[in-house]
Amino acid sequence: MKNLTSWAIIALTLTFLIGPFIIIIFAGASAGEALAFPPDGLSLRWYLKVFTIESFRQSFLLSMGLAIFGTIAALLLGIPAAYALNRYDLPGAETIRMVVASPIIVPGIIVGLALLRYLVIPLDFTVTLALFLAHTALVLPYAVRVVSSSLNNLRSDMEEAAVLLGCTRLQAFNKVVLPNIRGGVLAAFILGFVTSFNQVPVSLFLSGPGVRTLPIDMLSYMEITYDPSVAALSAVLAFMSLAIVFIAERLLGFSRYV
Amino acid sequence: MFSSTRTGLALALPAAIFASLLFILPVGILLSEAFKSDAGWTLQGYIDFFAKPLNRTVFLRTLKLGVLVAGTAAIIGYATAFAITNLSPKSRGRVFGLIILPLMISPVARTYAWIVILGRTGIVNDTIVGLGLSDTPIRLLFTETAVFLGLLQLFMPLMIISLLSAMENIPKDVIPAARVLGANWFQVFFKVILPLTKEGLVVGGTLVFTGALTAYITPAILGGSKVLMLETLLYQRVNVANDFVSASVIAMILIVMSFSANLLLKRIATARK
Amino acid sequence: MSDNFVSLSDLTLSYGQTVAVPNLNLDVVEGELIALLGPSGCGKTTTMRAIAGLLTPTSGTIAIDGRDVTRVAANKRGIGLVFQSYALFPHLTAFENVAFGLRLQKMPDAEVRERTEKGIATVSLAGFEKRKPAEMSGGQQQRLALARSLVMKPKVLLLDEPLSNLDARLRLEMRTELQRVQKKTGVTMVFVTHDQSEALALADRIVLMKDGKIEQLGTPHELYAEPATAFAAEFMGFENIFRVEGANLMSDTGQLPLGFTAKSPMLAWRPSGVQVGDGPFSGRVSASSYAGGHREYVIDTPIGQIKADASIETPEVPIGDTIAFGLPETTARPLAK
Repeated sequence: MKNLTSWAIIALTLTFLIGPFIIIIFAGASAGEALAFPPDGLSLRWYLKVFTIESFRQSFLLSMGLAIFGTIAALLLGIPAAYALNRYDLPGAETIRMVVASPIIVPGIIVGLALLRYLVIPLDFTVTLALFLAHTALVLPYAVRVVSSSLNNLRSDMEEAAVLLGCTRLQAFNKVVLPNIRGGVLAAFILGFVTSFNQVPVSLFLSGPGVRTLPIDMLSYMEITYDPSVAALSAVLAFMSLAIVFIAERLLGFSRYV
Repeated sequence: MFSSTRTGLALALPAAIFASLLFILPVGILLSEAFKSDAGWTLQGYIDFFAKPLNRTVFLRTLKLGVLVAGTAAIIGYATAFAITNLSPKSRGRVFGLIILPLMISPVARTYAWIVILGRTGIVNDTIVGLGLSDTPIRLLFTETAVFLGLLQLFMPLMIISLLSAMENIPKDVIPAARVLGANWFQVFFKVILPLTKEGLVVGGTLVFTGALTAYITPAILGGSKVLMLETLLYQRVNVANDFVSASVIAMILIVMSFSANLLLKRIATARK
Repeated sequence: MSDNFVSLSDLTLSYGQTVAVPNLNLDVVEGELIALLGPSGCGKTTTMRAIAGLLTPTSGTIAIDGRDVTRVAANKRGIGLVFQSYALFPHLTAFENVAFGLRLQKMPDAEVRERTEKGIATVSLAGFEKRKPAEMSGGQQQRLALARSLVMKPKVLLLDEPLSNLDARLRLEMRTELQRVQKKTGVTMVFVTHDQSEALALADRIVLMKDGKIEQLGTPHELYAEPATAFAAEFMGFENIFRVEGANLMSDTGQLPLGFTAKSPMLAWRPSGVQVGDGPFSGRVSASSYAGGHREYVIDTPIGQIKADASIETPEVPIGDTIAFGLPETTARPLAK
């Protein structure tokens, strides 16, 4: 296949995949009132407007909190689990793996609804707590998978050597395993963070007055607003995710662990 | 490896228990609602659900779009993946990065762009009216086509990545060897590339199909209430009508469809061997 | 018998902006076994891929059996190519691998079966039909790749480093196999190798290449005994190559007086052509290894290191000792440059 044809195909596909994103950036930078592309003149006012809306500030903080703490919780549960599955010969290992991976298979909206009906309402959990638990469960499969793959690359002889040199299992874990899977853990954190931050279906039913994640807040805003601020908002949201990923890439060569 | 099973279980169980309690249990109960009625276990919920024409339409439409998106993604995906393998390693890395990029961006942002493109004053309509192909803007939003495009854009990177990784496992000179033996490019694809990248196609196909089936945001933004899909229907039934039986039925259908798709594709892959 | 069964005219091959092979002219005789020999990067594999149609020339033409195939696609040239990696189809059985090209031609099933079975028998792989390539040894895989190309009855058979991956015993077997097949089918064979002993053993003619150009073209004997340039001499095993200035043999480190008048700017000796133990010069033995039929010395001399082979009969001179040696006129090979 000639090089020219190859590049043409790739260019077309990339235009389809990324073009819309570029369009949104510019549509949000319109100086005019209506949402259109190409925009009538360029201006940053719609981007500025996005930052001034109060409810966005609140939902942004909530999303950030959920992403950070939910991912940390998922890692606290997931790292031991990944370690156990990898280094031990567990009965029912396959079942455990499946159970832990299940949140990915079931559509998020069902999870949200189920949690609402059987945890929030009957047990009187606050919405925030329910969101936190849901996001943790959502990130758990990614945490286990990424850390597992990191562990696979680390041979177990290192720990055995440490133990023979006098460490307890826990010390060996802290001194030998953790430093070496640090990259994998960080990668899992980034992946979990982004997944949680962008999550919509799970949070749909679990939102209440004053308690909304940013994407959900955006969705309702989009239903009533038709000016370029929506495009600006989408662009800002996209930039945020990208920024996080770029920083991660700089820090650790992210792609090795996924 | 270490032999103390007890410690191992102690480490792994919290995660497993958390996932079960928080997730499997509530979901299980929700799904069981679909079978309940005052008289005990029954399939009446399903019968009632499918009795309504609207529900049937939504069900078939979701299935149809799932298949179309997966199929189109496969075709474009193979072409793109193959084109990428012809590039130098440096270019390959850059292109790969560009393809993964969209996955990091919120689906809300990615989908919203289509409003700008397909709206009444959007690019497509501007071009159509400008070229004189129509006097008034055509309604492109809130159609199945809009949802199709949105879903395709959302999930195509997954297919490309899957196929790319499968293609990299084809031994080095196998494709030139087939060419020298007389195969034209169609034959190279069907007799060599396809059989050797089957697993990648299965993985990609399942990811895209189930993704399209269970998508919420894209159908919500681009389809609204005119083009309902199973998930947006579910939301509507709960929010608007407090109809939990329908919701459970839909949830069950979604899960069954994802699982079946997975099994079916796996069977096709092993059968061809 | 056509003298230019395969004809390359003013062929220029490039990778992007870099020219790998500039203006190559070569005619291959029908039915001959010709080797493209040279170090890596010399353009031999590039030329082979161009003949196969896997690389489009920047300029020039390629003709096979009188037909200009320069713009003809790889799947329509009627040539066979045995890749260095064999490139067998991992998902097909041995039988289906060999039958692959035949099936593409929509031949009736019975004919495919007959030709495939014959092809498999020709390379002594009868009985292996149902095995997958992964279940076969390296040598068997290579024979399978050979059969796969041969059943197509190609006009020209190209082989990329056919013996490089094999151990010594298999190499000998495969060498014999290739010669046998060639005598039997009469197919024109072009093979690419970096190993001069392979080329010497197999080829009717050798094309020694350097930097994309033909350094020397000739029979194995011509290349072995009469290399024309310093590069050719070195490649064919003349380890001791020096400049001549006046009555002396010169190098960057020193000189030695020649005992005779040289008629060329450079002279070369094989290690076996160096007189050992006796002669006008002396040096210190810095290395010595036993090679079965002879002993290989490395001697430090004013002119640099001299590699010399001595017969097993003569007593060994230990490392560090002085040894006498000579560079006789009879075994000197004159070189133009």
